[in-house]
Amino acid sequence: MRHPKKVEGIEMSVEPMKLFFKEIKEPTETAMIGNYAVAGGVTQTDPDVICAFPITPQTQSVEGLSDVVHQGRLKAAFVNVESELAAISYSTAAAAVGARVFTATASQGYLLMAEALPMAVGWRVPLTMMISARAFNAPNLSIWNSWEFVLTDFGWNCIVSENVQETYDAAILSVMISDKSLFPTMFVHDGFIISHSVQKLTLIPDKTVRELTPKKPRHTINTKKPGTWGGIVTPSFFMEGRKNLDEAKQPVLGIMRETFKEFGKATGRQYDLIETYNLDNSSKTAFITMGSMCGNIISWMTKNKDVGLIKVRAYRPFPYEELQKIVQEHDLEKLIILEKSDSLNNLLPPFSTSIATALYPLGTLLRSFIVGLGGRDVTQDEFDIAKKKMEAVKDMKGPLYMYLGVRETKNKILGVDM
Amino acid sequence: MGSPTESYVRLSLNEDLVRSNEQVYAPHFVSVLDPSLLGEVDVTAGIPEGGWLIVNTVMNQLDIQDIVKRKDLNIATIDATRIALDILGRNITNTIILGALVRVSHLFTIEELSDAIMMRFKGEIAGKNIKAIQQAYEETCIYEIGKDVDFFVHTKVPWQQVDLGLPGYKELDKAGVWYCDENIIQVGSDQVNTGSWGEWEILWDKDTCTDCAQCWYICPDFAIIREKGDDGLWHMAGIDIYHCKSCQNCLNICPVNAITKRMKQGPASCAAPEESGGN
Ligand code: SF4
Ligand code: SF4
Repeated sequence: MRHPKKVEGIEMSVEPMKLFFKEIKEPTETAMIGNYAVAGGVTQTDPDVICAFPITPQTQSVEGLSDVVHQGRLKAAFVNVESELAAISYSTAAAAVGARVFTATASQGYLLMAEALPMAVGWRVPLTMMISARAFNAPNLSIWNSWEFVLTDFGWNCIVSENVQETYDAAILSVMISDKSLFPTMFVHDGFIISHSVQKLTLIPDKTVRELTPKKPRHTINTKKPGTWGGIVTPSFFMEGRKNLDEAKQPVLGIMRETFKEFGKATGRQYDLIETYNLDNSSKTAFITMGSMCGNIISWMTKNKDVGLIKVRAYRPFPYEELQKIVQEHDLEKLIILEKSDSLNNLLPPFSTSIATALYPLGTLLRSFIVGLGGRDVTQDEFDIAKKKMEAVKDMKGPLYMYLGVRETKNKILGVDM
Repeated sequence: MGSPTESYVRLSLNEDLVRSNEQVYAPHFVSVLDPSLLGEVDVTAGIPEGGWLIVNTVMNQLDIQDIVKRKDLNIATIDATRIALDILGRNITNTIILGALVRVSHLFTIEELSDAIMMRFKGEIAGKNIKAIQQAYEETCIYEIGKDVDFFVHTKVPWQQVDLGLPGYKELDKAGVWYCDENIIQVGSDQVNTGSWGEWEILWDKDTCTDCAQCWYICPDFAIIREKGDDGLWHMAGIDIYHCKSCQNCLNICPVNAITKRMKQGPASCAAPEESGGN
């Protein structure tokens, strides 16, 4: 592997990364933006290959890593490529020969990767990818937050983070989950809202990260055993390959749960596939969503104690049994889904569809509220009105989704009497 | 100096309250780094009665009250630009205004702020910033209305994030397409008074100028005016003060020093003592 030469006279270029240059000996409290926190977490997992193409709002994660490689702190190949399709292809191939690989993208970059995303799953490579969730460009270009990643996953694992601490932890958790499940894992935070916000977080000692992410590559190059990867097959073979993957995916949620436990023991931060807040409330109603909005709702709930919150961390595989159990145990009657994505085809968007599918056997009443597209802030106003609208819901008839916080005309907000 | 930018800090001992990732709509303290924004941006939106408006300016606090049309706010002013130029040698006021914030907010002490500066900067730069902050702390002019801010009052304008007044989805001709009719061209960046951004007035001396046009090439805002003379050639004609943002590129490149600068603002003034104390 070639390492870029250190350029004389250029000192540290990415200031917030300096914490990661020395060994982190004990849990260290600090504050930084989500992207640098991820770059730091990835540094601690000691990747062999980093290959990504810059795109807003993901950029500083890779920028931070280029610095630790450039300065010699990390002995990794930092590979510049010409596009996201090249980045994911290179990364998948590198992981397929046993390297620990990190890549990152967002929005149009994710779409450009689409051609090669399924093969990372097909070949069972333990690759990790950060996504700074950002709208894809239609009908306008937007660099701000929406959930483009829910659009399609091709069988990748996916965990979603609420804040900077969680996205830092997810950088490490994803390596653990990928290595154990032999499926690629993407971890997502909301673009700008988390990628560019400075928040408090506690760093994990290097030694602990090393223990959590031991390097035992299960893919290797063996010149004595040559083979063709991904060659063409006739209809006589293809379905068996797909079903084989489906079987292999079954234990992944269990692996995730165990990984969260192991991580909790080592760091004191307890995560789960799904987390719940105040579910035994008087209205038997709960919000269900993912990512940064969970924090907004928790703040809002300090004054709104009659609703609960279900926060989905593991988005793929979707923990449908866990969700059913939670709804049953707490006797919940209504769920208010908040989703930063839409479908345009009269269907619930993907996150809401997942929930509706999981809860179909229970008949839980639900409505999906489409919010926060293209970086529009989601505030107490949206929570208030969603809660109010849900009070009137008595059945599953009529449209199951509506946009919230959108101007209908210059002086009117859709669905809001002012 | 650049286009208007907002940033927020949320502090609380209650972890659930700082857990929100919402923008701040009802700030208790607002610091304005560039006084030219006072007339352009609604800097006092959402500040409850008794909240603090802290401005980098040489104006006195009563004049600011008039501009923002609010008499229910505590106001502090500091000539951070001059302190920045004196001590840092550059017009960077981000850290300096914190000296004024500490002075009026009592959220943390000047020593704690200095510690934070030393974590972020090193050596001489850290020292200069700390000195500048201390000077700002001492020189802050304060105008109190006799009522302090209540941290439990929350005055978000409902649906502020939805920007009412802009076209709604029913009013879009074709989503995503903006037709460039005359009106739209007229509200383009040509209409933005970037000339209000900088702290310097840029002066051009016709007699010294040799008409080499280097300034014209380097100006990022097309703010160097040239005119076609009777001889059929283009000649340097002056500086477009409506668009010149005082970046000083032209000043630095001019080979004969035909371009110079002058501070726009005069010395700072506090409201006269008999006027402060509020009513
Ligand atoms: S200072 Fe000179 S170069 Fe800069 S905007 Fe003004 S005229 Fe142009
Ligand atoms: S660079 Fe100086 S000499 Fe040349 S045209 Fe501009 S002002 Fe005149």
